[in-house]
Amino acid sequence: METIHVEATERTPEIHFDFARNHFAIRGESYPEDVAEFYGPKVRSLAAHVGQLQGASIEFHFELIYFNSSSAKVLIGLFDLLDEAAEKNQVEIQWHYEADDANMEELGEEFGEDVSHATFRMVAKD
Amino acid sequence: MLAKQVLHFRELLFQEGILFCYSGYMTEEILSSIGNTLKQKMALDKTDKNIARGVFTLFVEQVQNVIRYSSEVEPIERGDGQADVELRYGLLTIGQKEGRHFVSCANMIARQDVERLRGNLTKIQSMDREQLKAFYKEVLRGATPEGSKGAGVGFVDIARQATHGFQFDFHDVNEEYAYFCLKAFI
Repeated sequence: METIHVEATERTPEIHFDFARNHFAIRGESYPEDVAEFYGPKVRSLAAHVGQLQGASIEFHFELIYFNSSSAKVLIGLFDLLDEAAEKNQVEIQWHYEADDANMEELGEEFGEDVSHATFRMVAKD
Repeated sequence: MLAKQVLHFRELLFQEGILFCYSGYMTEEILSSIGNTLKQKMALDKTDKNIARGVFTLFVEQVQNVIRYSSEVEPIERGDGQADVELRYGLLTIGQKEGRHFVSCANMIARQDVERLRGNLTKIQSMDREQLKAFYKEVLRGATPEGSKGAGVGFVDIARQATHGFQFDFHDVNEEYAYFCLKAFI
């Protein structure tokens, strides 16, 4: 599958899905006008790709500044998808947050609690 | 006379600590513009990062509620085969009083939705942090119930961010509509 790369805008994050290397990243602000329209096709491609992987090494970086509640629905779906994939693959999820951003740190910890198969790493940035 | 009247209005707003006030049709463009200005204002004031994020969250979730669910709707027929656009009316105020930041939104809702909404909000209001966290995840994972129009996750997010709680109220306007107001504090 071809790499999906979308630059960040004021209200949507950068999306970088490198299917060949199994490196994925979402970076920036996320409060799109229409969450389904923005994430829907990209997440469907990701699910189709990840669903057929076996014994692969997958890395997913989340580097969010702010996300609204509709985006949170997408995020939790991604964590569930990755955790399921980790039953057959090696999956590492990295949650990046600014060191002084208590809120983003707490949200990362909360999402991480439900991840049981994948490795969930909290990464503080200075 | 005109200036005096408007000045009086401005003084009423200032007495309430209101820094931003918008009454009118809410659109995603309005959300973007007010949101950016709100961020600039909080950056200028050197507002604590976590408080600023909280205020911004309250603002986004409340305005998106109005954009999606206000019953005061002005349909726009585009006539080009595209889906018709709707403009929804609401009243937003953002401010600071007695050391607390607040974001308040008000809009018309159908009277038949009042009890369901009151029930949801009362339930959320009674929850402690741990219960809110569990409920937040539950709502995030669940499919949005039909007709509830998402009266779930946005309000849970508001409750989680509102470190000084939130108030809400309903007032019947006529047989069909009630006025709904929510004010959240940080």
